[in-house]
Amino acid sequence: MGGIMITKIADNIISPLGYDSNANFKAVLSGETMLCKHVDSFGLPVPFCGSLLNRDEIISLANAEIACAENYTFFEKLCILSAQNAITDCNLSPRESNVIFIISTTKGNVDCLENSLEDTRCILASSANKIARYFGNNNTPIVVSNACISGVCAQIAAIRELLSGRYRYAVVIGCDVLSKFIISGFQSFKALSPECCQPYDKNRVGLNLGEAAGTIILKAGKPSNEEDWQYVSSSIHNDANHISGPSRTGEGSYRVLADILKDVDANEISFINAHGTATAYNDEMESIAIHRAGLDDVCVNGLKGYYGHTLGAAGIIETILSMKAIDNGVVLATRGFESTGTSYTLNISNQVRETSKTAFIKILSGFGGSNAGISYRKGGKA
Amino acid sequence: MKTIAEISITPNRTILNGDTISTANIAGLYREFVGDYPKFFKMDSLCKLGFIGSELLLKGINAEEKENAAIILFNRNGSLITDRNYQKTITDDNYFPSPALFVYTLANIVTGEIAIRNKIYGESSFYVLNNQDMDLMNDIINNTYLTSSPTFILTGWVDFDDEHNYEAKLKLVTK
Amino acid sequence: MDNLILQLKNQIIEVLNLEDMTPEDIDAEAPLFGDGLGLDSIDALELIVLLEREYGIKLSNPAEGKQIFKSIASIADYVSKNRKK
Repeated sequence: MGGIMITKIADNIISPLGYDSNANFKAVLSGETMLCKHVDSFGLPVPFCGSLLNRDEIISLANAEIACAENYTFFEKLCILSAQNAITDCNLSPRESNVIFIISTTKGNVDCLENSLEDTRCILASSANKIARYFGNNNTPIVVSNACISGVCAQIAAIRELLSGRYRYAVVIGCDVLSKFIISGFQSFKALSPECCQPYDKNRVGLNLGEAAGTIILKAGKPSNEEDWQYVSSSIHNDANHISGPSRTGEGSYRVLADILKDVDANEISFINAHGTATAYNDEMESIAIHRAGLDDVCVNGLKGYYGHTLGAAGIIETILSMKAIDNGVVLATRGFESTGTSYTLNISNQVRETSKTAFIKILSGFGGSNAGISYRKGGKA
Repeated sequence: MKTIAEISITPNRTILNGDTISTANIAGLYREFVGDYPKFFKMDSLCKLGFIGSELLLKGINAEEKENAAIILFNRNGSLITDRNYQKTITDDNYFPSPALFVYTLANIVTGEIAIRNKIYGESSFYVLNNQDMDLMNDIINNTYLTSSPTFILTGWVDFDDEHNYEAKLKLVTK
Repeated sequence: MDNLILQLKNQIIEVLNLEDMTPEDIDAEAPLFGDGLGLDSIDALELIVLLEREYGIKLSNPAEGKQIFKSIASIADYVSKNRKK
């Protein structure tokens, strides 16, 4: 790893369950969700079950906290609010040239196309530039657009920039907002569950979509105390199988886990926070990958039962919640899970469990056959 | 970083390792150089462009080397063309959302198409940048080796505006 | 029925981008998935859209599609019995 350590120095989650990481963690710990059925939302002819932000509340928050808020789209407001919260938390000077902004999103401002097909605000790079410039940062921001694995890939992109020595700080923002575009697409894929999703359960019928923004700020440098989170390992692999269907052998996800196990001892892993979208194929694929990696005994959880699938935000907010869980000595419950519905039985529970271990693995899989994983460890151990 | 092979594809010229090999458009290139992969016709324009570039670059590379290669691509417009086409399928008066279009509203699908064709199981990544910033792209490519060890990287710019404005500038590189 | 089969063949060639294929190339009885035309899961979803758009047939459960989408002949049979337009 080139001798450089990477430490997480701040984070934030804005979701329907709360506007900072602690509020979100408490809500998830107590089993809350804002997933519910929405009829006539976004002009969709078919209802859907999802977790939506309170738009009025976010907009008034943005008006109060963002200078010239009217210049930014809803997506950009969310990114700025989330990043601002985390930046303030760690007293970072975002305008410094040693800070890079990295943004994870699948569709950004795609809802702008509804008004005009020629609307160029949906170009992700322009949106990212506006966000970085808001903070007075003049470095070219990087947008990671790797479908549903973007949130972990953005962290990996940040870690590589920090390891290379080019930057000292990386502000990694993950965000997606729902729209007629995104929801209709998942409906056309027959991928959505009409009720709250049930990850890994035998009765699971599909995923829910959700909205959120999350920010993780990483720093090149040693942790300042035992409580700090350090990057340990990461990996990205393709299934080379199908552009929308997960591999039947869990190939890419298995290779990700196998790579990470070269750097982390299975015995120190508190849990694998898996993708767990609650589609038949994703969860089955992950059970195969985890089994092939020899991790059947390790605790597994999935958080889509609280938030739905938050797309570009998922990898960020699920990483933050995994850190918070270990900070509090627990493995979060998999909401919606009742009984095993995958070929291999995973060590999964719908109850909060205790843990004293200090490392976790976060994995994601998505369209394009993509799979990614990242592992963090708490404490000063090198 | 060592370049093993490079290709440039624009609407009127395809240059492979310095030689102009064709003046055909994307479909013409497919018929001229590939021809045996009907899935090509199901791809969106961005994927077709990236796919053709990869076919020409990867000729002669064996399966063993390809297995652990990485695919890291960049552009500015993401999947904008297909985003617009999908948007047309969800208007209020003609609402028939197309799954075959929706799947291509993710720019990284082009990396998946190349991985599938070539059985490449290594990293596949797609980045959206404001412009064709060679320094930043080279930086990202070099940094890949900090956390992984691909046999080679298929990388570069692949952007599709419309039939008259597209560009693929791809290369195979090793450390 | 022959007209419907021809119409379906043309529609399928168009929506599934089966370039270089003509209706004569497709055997109405041959399997559409797997070895036959080699269609995949996204094609199946697109066929569901086709039935709805062109014939007013709504298939809410994709599992139903398995039987219906066996071959062009089976689709034609289903469409002729269930079409709303």
